[in-house]
Amino acid sequence: MSLSPMAPAAAWVLAGLLLLLAGVCLLQRHLWRACQGFVAFALLMSLAWLLLGAPWLALAEALLGALLTGGLLLWTLRGRGALPRLPTLDRTARRGRLAAPLRWLLILTWLGLIATALVGLLGLEALAPPASVTTLLAATGVLIMGLGLWAFSTQRHLLRRLLAFNLLGSGVFLVLAGLAGPGAEIRGLILIGLVVALLGSVLGAALLLRLHARAGQVTLNPVFGT
Amino acid sequence: MTELSLAPFPLLRLPLAPLLFAALLWPLLLGLRAALGATISLGQPRPHLSRPLNQPLSQSLHQPLDWLWISAPWPALALVVLGPDGSLWLEAWLLGGCWELDDQRRLLLAFSALLWGLAGWYARGYFAAEQAQAAAGDPDSRARLLRFALFWPLALCGNLLLLVAEDIASFYLGFALMTFSAYPLVIHNGTREARTGGLAYLVMAVLGEGMILAGLLWGAGTGSALTLSELRATLATADMGLWMGLLLWLGFGVKAGVIGLHLWLPLAHPVAPTPASAVLSGVMIKAGLVGWLSTLPLGMAGIDDAFQGLGRAMLTAGLIGAFAAALLGAAQRHPKAVLAYSSVSQMGMIAALVALGLLQPDSWPALSVLVLFFAAHHGLSKGALFLGVGISEQPPRLPAWLLWTLLILPALSLAGALGSGLIAKWSTKKALEAAGEETLAVWLSLAAVGTTLLMARTLWRQWRPWRETIETNQRPGHSLSTSHRPSQTLRASHSPSPNPSSNPDQNDQHLLAPMPLAWLLGIVAALSLPFWAGWLAGGLTAELADQLADGIDGELEGAFSRQLAGGLASPPLSALPALLWPLGLGLLFSIVLGWSLRRVATRLSHWLPAGDLWWPLAFCGRWLWCLARGLLQGLVILQAAWIAWWVARERDGLTGLEMLTRAEGWLRRQLALLLLAVALGLAVVLLLNAKSTLLWP
Amino acid sequence: MSPTPLHLLWLLFAPLALGLLAWVRPPRHSGWVLLAALPLPLVALWLLLGVETGPMAGRLALGPLTLHWRLDGLAASLWLLTQLLLLASALYAASYAHATPLRTRGYAWLWPLLGGLALGLGLIWIAADLLLLYAGLELMGLCAVGMMLLPGSVEALTAGLRYLLFALVGSLTWLLGIALLLGAWGRLDLAGLAAVAQPDPVTQIAVALLASGLLLKGAIFPLHSWLAPVHDSAWTPISAIHGALVVKASFFILLLLWRALLPEAIAGAWALGLLGSLAVLWGGVQAWRAVGLKQLVAWSTVGQLGYLMLAFPLLAGTSAAVALMAWQATWLQLAGHALAKAAMFMAAGNLLLSTGAHRLEGLTGTSRRLPLSLMTFGFAAVTLMGLPPSAGFTAKWLWLQASLASGQWLWVLVLALGSLLSAIYVFRVLRCSFVEDAPEPAFRPLPLGMELIALVLALAAIGLGLAAAWPLSFLAPAGVP
Repeated sequence: MSLSPMAPAAAWVLAGLLLLLAGVCLLQRHLWRACQGFVAFALLMSLAWLLLGAPWLALAEALLGALLTGGLLLWTLRGRGALPRLPTLDRTARRGRLAAPLRWLLILTWLGLIATALVGLLGLEALAPPASVTTLLAATGVLIMGLGLWAFSTQRHLLRRLLAFNLLGSGVFLVLAGLAGPGAEIRGLILIGLVVALLGSVLGAALLLRLHARAGQVTLNPVFGT
Repeated sequence: MTELSLAPFPLLRLPLAPLLFAALLWPLLLGLRAALGATISLGQPRPHLSRPLNQPLSQSLHQPLDWLWISAPWPALALVVLGPDGSLWLEAWLLGGCWELDDQRRLLLAFSALLWGLAGWYARGYFAAEQAQAAAGDPDSRARLLRFALFWPLALCGNLLLLVAEDIASFYLGFALMTFSAYPLVIHNGTREARTGGLAYLVMAVLGEGMILAGLLWGAGTGSALTLSELRATLATADMGLWMGLLLWLGFGVKAGVIGLHLWLPLAHPVAPTPASAVLSGVMIKAGLVGWLSTLPLGMAGIDDAFQGLGRAMLTAGLIGAFAAALLGAAQRHPKAVLAYSSVSQMGMIAALVALGLLQPDSWPALSVLVLFFAAHHGLSKGALFLGVGISEQPPRLPAWLLWTLLILPALSLAGALGSGLIAKWSTKKALEAAGEETLAVWLSLAAVGTTLLMARTLWRQWRPWRETIETNQRPGHSLSTSHRPSQTLRASHSPSPNPSSNPDQNDQHLLAPMPLAWLLGIVAALSLPFWAGWLAGGLTAELADQLADGIDGELEGAFSRQLAGGLASPPLSALPALLWPLGLGLLFSIVLGWSLRRVATRLSHWLPAGDLWWPLAFCGRWLWCLARGLLQGLVILQAAWIAWWVARERDGLTGLEMLTRAEGWLRRQLALLLLAVALGLAVVLLLNAKSTLLWP
Repeated sequence: MSPTPLHLLWLLFAPLALGLLAWVRPPRHSGWVLLAALPLPLVALWLLLGVETGPMAGRLALGPLTLHWRLDGLAASLWLLTQLLLLASALYAASYAHATPLRTRGYAWLWPLLGGLALGLGLIWIAADLLLLYAGLELMGLCAVGMMLLPGSVEALTAGLRYLLFALVGSLTWLLGIALLLGAWGRLDLAGLAAVAQPDPVTQIAVALLASGLLLKGAIFPLHSWLAPVHDSAWTPISAIHGALVVKASFFILLLLWRALLPEAIAGAWALGLLGSLAVLWGGVQAWRAVGLKQLVAWSTVGQLGYLMLAFPLLAGTSAAVALMAWQATWLQLAGHALAKAAMFMAAGNLLLSTGAHRLEGLTGTSRRLPLSLMTFGFAAVTLMGLPPSAGFTAKWLWLQASLASGQWLWVLVLALGSLLSAIYVFRVLRCSFVEDAPEPAFRPLPLGMELIALVLALAAIGLGLAAAWPLSFLAPAGVP
């Protein structure tokens, strides 16, 4: 790997912050703060790319992720425009608790599956406290992915689901980079992914605003209200 | 044959065809007339208003049994006397008609037409009271009489047609016409008993017609036969000839009253009007015999051996019938029921003789003459006896001894002690001995004991009510108006609407009134049968004499044939004890049984009702019907349950589909989880497949 | 390996350029559309005739990144089909805009999205590495979502949002799979992967992830539930192109990857076949119970896509003859269904537009008033039901033979039940159309072009069955990869 060795403590801090901010994004009922959390998360991701030795990716992440996607989400809540803005407080109910065990089981198995694949690729030493930044970030990516999946399947608010999708994407990118390093193909894939995420977010946000304006709903199912 | 038969006939001969057509068409025309009368009567709901206006028409309408109606069988009699032997081919008729007149047919036609004529004449007197009621405007009586007037000539026409027919189609047409036209005659009274008798008659008739039709079609189809002689030849040689013969025997056996198939006789005869009973028992059951003679290969050489078995069955059934019917008949109370059983018994004897045609074909030519003679004798005697039942109910002004002598005469003849009966018996005995069937002769003599018993029983059952009414009338203070109708009470039991106060025809007790005169003529005809039959069937006997003269045992047969040729001469005095012992034995039995069983007689007749097997069979039929109806209802319930089950399943299916539609909503909500599950499932399948070949070979 | 020919690039990007042009000035007449877009299928045909001798392949270097492409008979045929269907949809859309008042801005946006869709599909057909496939897939998906949202109704917005969210998540699953593959084998080009990849657990997990993402995008049971609501509210030309091509592209990628990475995974192939069978039955039943006509057609798409999945078990570990039959049947079904489904959506759109009804019961009297559209619907249904002489019949016949030859009897049952269900829902529509005693709705007159385009497509689906030998001849030299 072409990474410059780094003090594991800084990497641990970065990983911890990433997880923390992901949690904020997905759990904070105040959507404005959640979106701010996402901007911070994207900036930390940019830092992570920088640390992984991919400055162009860091720049793209900062530009596409933090500035455009984050800004778009914030704009959805408090921007100017013809359509009424969304309420900043998420009042939608989460999905029923009946399916919760099943959901957890599926997500954990899924994570286990990914972990198995990772272990298969990186070797058994990856199970020990991760020595390299790459492995640590890949493991962080898996955890972020789990969080994103959980939020995506549990939350009803469409803005939150967009956030969850973005976090899920970031998790996948981290795994991708952690597995294969920042090669040209990886950069291409991640770049396309970032563009797709941005475009998807733009589309989603625009639709959400219009749906809110037309029907007053912020979920897919009108029963679960605004 | 033609030259032979022409010789003894001194009378002039007329062309055959007009006579045949007249004999068959005249009854049809009379039936048509009655039908027209019925139609007009329907069009005139209140005929008593129109009566003064249209007297001649209403005459035939309210008195359908007029002299013209009586004349129905007269052309047939003319045919018998004046018609030459020969056959008439009718290409356009059915499948090609062939009507014949030969000596056998002449004899059959003679006694049939004679009895139809006498019974018709008798009916005019018998229905006098009903005619009077119809004339007075009673619609029920008029309808009944019109029905009688319509179907009587039709049945006659059918009977004549089946006698002259040589082609199968005409034969069956005549048979069916006679059978089904006789049904309205049976149910004439319309009482419950009459309907029961009619039902029995109809059920058995349909059964018989079915078997006859099956046998005829099978036989005719197998051998491409159009005439009856071709049919006989077919049956003799065909592979399945025995089964065709069996069908035909049983089918005609219904009509001829073979034991087991005789059920309709004792039920229909007592309830039918007396003239109808007379022709039913005298003539119509002979149609069954004619059917046997016409279709079974009797006396034919080279027939299948299997017919021996059929012959044995016929012989056994005939003898059983002869005895069983005698015993059953002796237990009956109604004289006409006793006479019906007597007919069964007599037909059993005839059937036993017919069976010899299959068992001993060589002796059949002699026996066939006897069978015909026996049939004619029985027909006329039984007719006279039936007519006598009506006479004893409405006795004419005769001394009691003369009346009862006249009533006893035909009974004695039937028992073989007098006239035609004695000659028939003697001839039979001789013929059987000649054929080597002495055992059968003894059995038949024993059956004659039963006949005597039955004759005694029926006369006794006639004498009792006659005696009671006479005693009642002699009591002082009895109404004079009913004194000259002594049997009113008895007749009321099987005549629906006798009105004692209305007695329009005072002449019916006169000796020259239709009823007594027809009766007397019947007795005369029955007793003198050997004389006029010999004259009429001279050709027949001459032929027989020739055949017998060529026989093996020259001496005896030669003497016998000479006797026949001489007009069925009386037996010599020396043979009389051998012929009359059954009579004596029968009389002895009658007295002994009558005296010993006088206390249980009522119960006995209650246990053995007329129609014997009919009642358990009817009970079984009703039970089966109830069972079938129950089953049917069960099926209906089952069907309803089945449909309901399917409707419920349909509803379940719809509910299932609704659930599927709802499940679609669930799938939509859980899409994210399903994505995880599909990925996991696929991964698990792939991993397991790779790890272990045991899971997926 | 040769440098990328210019006409290939032109065919890729010309639709997008035309779409952008039309965005500026939306066409008001189908004549202009025909004039501008007719060269595209001709070029595709030229390409197809060009690869008759052998497949073309090449690579494109973008700085350090190298992209691989490959054009064989199958890809060229599909590309030709794509161009034809896009042309038909574009023509139909121009008439459609005439016949019904569309939102002007929405109508303008239709054209660049259509161009983007053409680019995405073209990339998918010719991509020979996972990066290019990813780009094409995402481009196609985003354009499809965008087009679906054009009507702007609440139903369309909700359905489109669901589609968007799950399409994005599906892409991430797919991306994760690519990540694993890249980590395991260190390369993205399909030929190289097929050469080096072993069916080890990591590859299997990667393929499972890739497959689940593609199954979601391809609307295979049980991940199909986003499809019917989307079609219910979308514009007719968009439904036509989506049902005909977009969902099939995912299947195409899945089959390509599966054949390259796990050709011998019989159990997995059977699992996919079973999912397809369930899709056939589920789609059929739901189409039978559907309330609206477009829903019915959309559900029939779900069922028909299920048939395609039968390719996996019939290709995995079977004899060469069976595999060849299954291979031909699959592409024939894909092409036949694409034509028939586009025709059916257009015919259904015509019926709905003219009667103004949404429910099947509203089709009363169409047998007399709109015989042409109803006939088109019937012709398209002939292909869907698999009646001779349509392409659907030929495909099912080949599948049947392949199933019997390989002893996989289950698929025979699936084919029979699927055809039965198709017959049931098709005749339900026809019965509603032939009802005469109900009150008739007011019929809106339709431009003849709308009806003719649909009819031509439906007849093409039947003609494909009659002349199946020609397109199959392009598959034969390549054989089963």
